[in-house]
Amino acid sequence: MNSGRPKPYNSFETAQEQFDAVATRLGLDTGTRELLRSPLREYSFAIPVRMDDGSVRVFRGFRVQHNDARGPCKGGIRFHPLETLDTVRALAMWMTWKCAVVDIPLGGGKGGIICDPHNLSLAEQERLCRGFVRQVVRNVGPTLDVPAPDVMTSGQHMLWMLDEFEAIRGEHLPGFITGKPVGLGGSLGRTEATGYGVVFTIRETLRELGLRAEDTRASVQGFGNVAQYAIELLMQLGGTVTCVSCWDQKDQVAYSYRRRSGVDLAELRSITDRFGGIDSKRARELGYEVLDGDAWLEQEVEILIPAALENQIHIDNVDRIAPTVRLIAEGANGPTGPRADAVIRERGIFMIPDLLANSGGVTCSYFEQVQSNMNYYWSRDEVLGKLDLKMTSAFRAVAELAQRENLYMRDAAYVIAVTRVAQASRDRGWV
Amino acid sequence: MAASGRPAEPIPRFDRRFFASDRIASRIGDGELGGKASGLVRARTALAVLRPVPDIEVGIPRMAVIATDVHARFVERNGLAELAASDAPDDAKAHAFLAADLPVEILGDLHALVDEVRSPLAVRSSSLLEDALHHPLAGVYATKMTPNEAHEPGERFARLVEAVKLVYASTCFRSPRRYLRAIGADPASERMAVIVQEVVGRRFADRYYPHVSGVARSWNFYPGSGSAPEDGVVSLALGLGKTIVDGGVAWTYSPLRPAAPPPFASNAARAKNTQTRFWAVNMGPVPHDPIRETEHLIQAELPVADLDGSLHFVASTWDPRSDRLQPGVGAVGSRLLDFAPLLVHQELRLNQVIRELLRVCEDDWGEAVEIELAAVLDHRPAPHARVGLLQVRPMAAASEHVHLDDADLAHPDALLASRSSMGNGVEEGIADVVYCVPDRFDARATRDIAAEVEQIDAELEAARRPYLLIGFGRWGSSDPWLGIPVRWDQIAGARVVVEAMLPHMNVEPSQGAHFFHNVASLGVKYLTVPHDAHPGIDWDWLAGCTEQRSTPHLRHVRLDDPLRVTVDGRTGRAVALHG
Repeated sequence: MNSGRPKPYNSFETAQEQFDAVATRLGLDTGTRELLRSPLREYSFAIPVRMDDGSVRVFRGFRVQHNDARGPCKGGIRFHPLETLDTVRALAMWMTWKCAVVDIPLGGGKGGIICDPHNLSLAEQERLCRGFVRQVVRNVGPTLDVPAPDVMTSGQHMLWMLDEFEAIRGEHLPGFITGKPVGLGGSLGRTEATGYGVVFTIRETLRELGLRAEDTRASVQGFGNVAQYAIELLMQLGGTVTCVSCWDQKDQVAYSYRRRSGVDLAELRSITDRFGGIDSKRARELGYEVLDGDAWLEQEVEILIPAALENQIHIDNVDRIAPTVRLIAEGANGPTGPRADAVIRERGIFMIPDLLANSGGVTCSYFEQVQSNMNYYWSRDEVLGKLDLKMTSAFRAVAELAQRENLYMRDAAYVIAVTRVAQASRDRGWV
Repeated sequence: MAASGRPAEPIPRFDRRFFASDRIASRIGDGELGGKASGLVRARTALAVLRPVPDIEVGIPRMAVIATDVHARFVERNGLAELAASDAPDDAKAHAFLAADLPVEILGDLHALVDEVRSPLAVRSSSLLEDALHHPLAGVYATKMTPNEAHEPGERFARLVEAVKLVYASTCFRSPRRYLRAIGADPASERMAVIVQEVVGRRFADRYYPHVSGVARSWNFYPGSGSAPEDGVVSLALGLGKTIVDGGVAWTYSPLRPAAPPPFASNAARAKNTQTRFWAVNMGPVPHDPIRETEHLIQAELPVADLDGSLHFVASTWDPRSDRLQPGVGAVGSRLLDFAPLLVHQELRLNQVIRELLRVCEDDWGEAVEIELAAVLDHRPAPHARVGLLQVRPMAAASEHVHLDDADLAHPDALLASRSSMGNGVEEGIADVVYCVPDRFDARATRDIAAEVEQIDAELEAARRPYLLIGFGRWGSSDPWLGIPVRWDQIAGARVVVEAMLPHMNVEPSQGAHFFHNVASLGVKYLTVPHDAHPGIDWDWLAGCTEQRSTPHLRHVRLDDPLRVTVDGRTGRAVALHG
């Protein structure tokens, strides 16, 4: 019986739909399809944590390893109260494609714990991190599966996890985890990598479109790490960012902040909390227009950068995208729903898909892992120079395929990624 | 735009497959290219009308120019402006610049550049002020070579980045800051482009160098007997051009008379006065010292080049027992770098190429020019040369019409007179003379003398008192035994510089390219007085002047009436008269 309520968005179903379309295009055999449309391994476990008040709370944790045909799995660990296994599955699959499209020798994984770290003390968070590691220690490691920070996890969480892992294994293994602080096995340039990476792909797109950065305006959803560094580099290239939006923790609602002449990044940073929330009152005092959370989408700009959460551009709001928009760079994972994606494609807006646009983070994580395994660390210039090369090469490969085969950029990226992973699986004799 | 004539053509943006393409130049960044790069870009069109010379290819080595806006962003984003404008030591500035981050938007291009090419790169300054002020700043800023042959691209990238940062740092070093102030420019207004260019040369074991490097000028500031200034002058050296631009021993000749015998009385004297050491890029391991300009350079002796087999076209062989000098290296004996196989026997018509280059560049610029070049020469299977044009810049040639004859030199009030001078015109208002006291001069102490001169120069410059400077041997020589090894900034306040000679120190007149280019373009009068010249220098008159200061080797005197120094640029005669 149909209840009449819309079916809730399921990111794993979206990921599988995307894969199925590419598999059909590539004519993949049934075995390969079966292998790649679901994770190789999934771990779901309970993490008992002694709370500060002496009680014990049991958290639910997941680690999903989608595919490791091309190398150890790589993917973040999320702390989120609404975490689901399906979300983690989808994100693990996207990690597989992302690593493949930028051609780094890693597979895809993801982890999560159902929790809200805002309601946990640091000591409780530490025990939660160590508990997570104890549950998966046999299935992760520098040559198996390499975690990293993700939604609401930080370098501190990674250090606790690393410490627990090394304590159990009895050896130093800094390559177990990435996103570590610089000086403790972290890589210079890691903080900026995802945001800068987004802009490297935007820069290349502008060249494809024959546009100068100086002649473009951008609107950005999100003001976290990715968004801030994307804005920074975009402005350094000469672009103007006229609108940013972010979640307001106090009001529990998102706002968009607009200044038509261009936002002042340093000014906004000075009124932003560590979660990327802008102080709306002070923003208003500084002369910013404070608009609805969705207003970022309807700005008269040339560039849209959704860099917050998944499914932010959907069929109900995609028509609000202004006619001036020439390109969308997906800084977040899965920010565009499939039906909205079809509309964007129909309108001829150049799409830089998430697995390409935001792959700077995982690419730099790979660099960090390489450095950690060698115990030899590169300069920031070296890291960012390599990052630019990797991302630009990946962009060109995707853009050239898209042009040659008359493909949508997302499809071209998937074709390259899935082809590489399928080939590795065949080469190993799995299928 | 270039300072004279038509502007340089725009060059395309850097393409990451640049070094695999047939493009000569491309640009990283959106700013200006600076004087040196603009000159080379402009030279591309001049080369199009070059008359071909058999067996010799002429071109401009491929280069990527990091435009001036990148330098500006580097300084701004790293907050280096205050340090740059300060009087902090050069080393401190270099360390701070090396610790700073290059603008992220150029890192990928630089990485792509070293990924594409695995041969030595020269990282040179290309100053905006050089262009705008029509003043040469070459030699003032750092030039760094990087071997660029490490297996790991990251290693090559790291060395390139260090080199770029060192060139940026050199913008605010003490020497250029003083120089800029001397020409009335604000050091803070300097913007630097950087040229990253393939080094012309060939690898021999751990050394990489060209068989010949050269500096040629279409106007000769030191015309010898039978030569006219417009005949031009060429200096050639084995190895990197650093030998020439630093004022080391090179083979200097008139391009109109390349086979003319040099002014040496004997083969022994010739052997003594020709190049015996040469510079090369050191391809072997070196201690990491990124703030040292010569970190990846090595100076080797001539026998090493002989073992390398690189002397075929550039050396003659001297047998001291028979005193026979035989062109080439076919015989057994001492090698002597006189370039006879090229200049006398014309096994390759390199001189013809140099004359052609001077001609087309002078035509294009519409004034006298100076060019730098390097060449790789092959004698098997047939003689063949590849010549790379490294730099073209206009010279400040003589213009004011003055005339002196021998009678003027013998004037009773002459403090000194010269028949070999550089510059042209009249200099009045000099009431200070700083000179090496002949009795106190010691060739072993020339470095000390340089420091003493610097101190006095700084005081006179601060007091805005131009002065006449007299020393023994070659000013600005890199060889302290041949003269006083000052940098230009150490004597920047001198308006007239006199190169006196002692009996045991009769070196050839100076041709150190950068030093003397500075002298010329600043209009400094440069006089050479041989030890046996009549009239020469009136030391007795100087000894009677009022002493302002005395140092272990120098005397600074102040005159009641200013000197009048006249230089006839066409004849090379000059005289300084006291009141």
